[in-house]
Amino acid sequence: MSASPVLETPSDHALAAAYRAGDERAAAELVRRHAPAVARFLYSSGAARDEIDDLVQEALFRAFRRLDGWRGEASFRSWLFVIAGNVLRDEYRRRKGRQMLSLEDRDLPDRADPDADLAATDTAERLRQGITKLPRLQREVFLLRTQQGSGYTEIAAALGTTPGAARVHYHHAVRRLKELVK
Amino acid sequence: MNDCARLSDRMPEVALERSVWTPDEAAHLDECDECGDEWRLMLATHSLAGRTPAISDPVALAAAVQGRIARDRAERIRTRRTWSFVGAAAAAAMVLGVALADRGGTPPPAARVAAGSVLVPLPELEGLETAQLDTLLQNIDRPAPAPSSLDASTMGEHEDGELEQVFATWEG
Repeated sequence: MSASPVLETPSDHALAAAYRAGDERAAAELVRRHAPAVARFLYSSGAARDEIDDLVQEALFRAFRRLDGWRGEASFRSWLFVIAGNVLRDEYRRRKGRQMLSLEDRDLPDRADPDADLAATDTAERLRQGITKLPRLQREVFLLRTQQGSGYTEIAAALGTTPGAARVHYHHAVRRLKELVK
Repeated sequence: MNDCARLSDRMPEVALERSVWTPDEAAHLDECDECGDEWRLMLATHSLAGRTPAISDPVALAAAVQGRIARDRAERIRTRRTWSFVGAAAAAAMVLGVALADRGGTPPPAARVAAGSVLVPLPELEGLETAQLDTLLQNIDRPAPAPSSLDASTMGEHEDGELEQVFATWEG
């Protein structure tokens, strides 16, 4: 009696290799797998709610266009975050520095406990503003660490810096942001 | 590494629920204001990520990305083919030009040097279709425009001395 085959989830490396070999479905799977995380990264970095879809699409498109540039030192997702950071910077420049956050970005409080939710919303919004104002490396190290749980070695590989420098950027970011959530 | 630094390093993985606090860590967190503030920041950052608007239509997003990738690939292939064809055509034109000059009499010394160095096999031509080769040959056979101040068709009527003068004028 033969054992039933085990269905393994293909790794990002395997999907990237399949895409390079011409398998378009591999691209669709990578999009499905990573698009929500890229959206979270962009939103936390200050992207406006109504532009998330377009920015995610642009980031993913750029990633596939230069997929040969991903050599696997950092995870695919960390590498995507760096590209998403570039997309956001380009968008910011295109607007000539105009702030991307808008009043419409504020979430409406939940009806169940309006006061608590309003406080949480205010804290979240202050934090988002604070993250947006961080220098780029601090912001990206902080988000890679807090949203991905990436280690400093991986962050350093993704951002082209050293693990020691990544650690320093993270602690600078934490020191600045801690004041906003007290 | 002190307790605060160790706790700070562990915060992301606990916040992402990949790990849990040990009793000692939990006790430190209760007592240390600095670590307490950092932990609140960690939780607030997670809460912020949770407020991210959902991608409106993931299937449409994947399709849009794939569509752009396919168009980009096609465009790149078209551009590469065009440049390959132009390169092959230019090389072929040079070789045929030299060959025709050889057939038409003694070429000037510069052309002889060029013929010696350029007459090499051209594998690019092997890949061309008959129609592409025809187009190439038609373009090569088309007479080049005459120089503005000279009538090249009458060159054969000149003496060597006159031709030397013409060449000297061209070369400055």
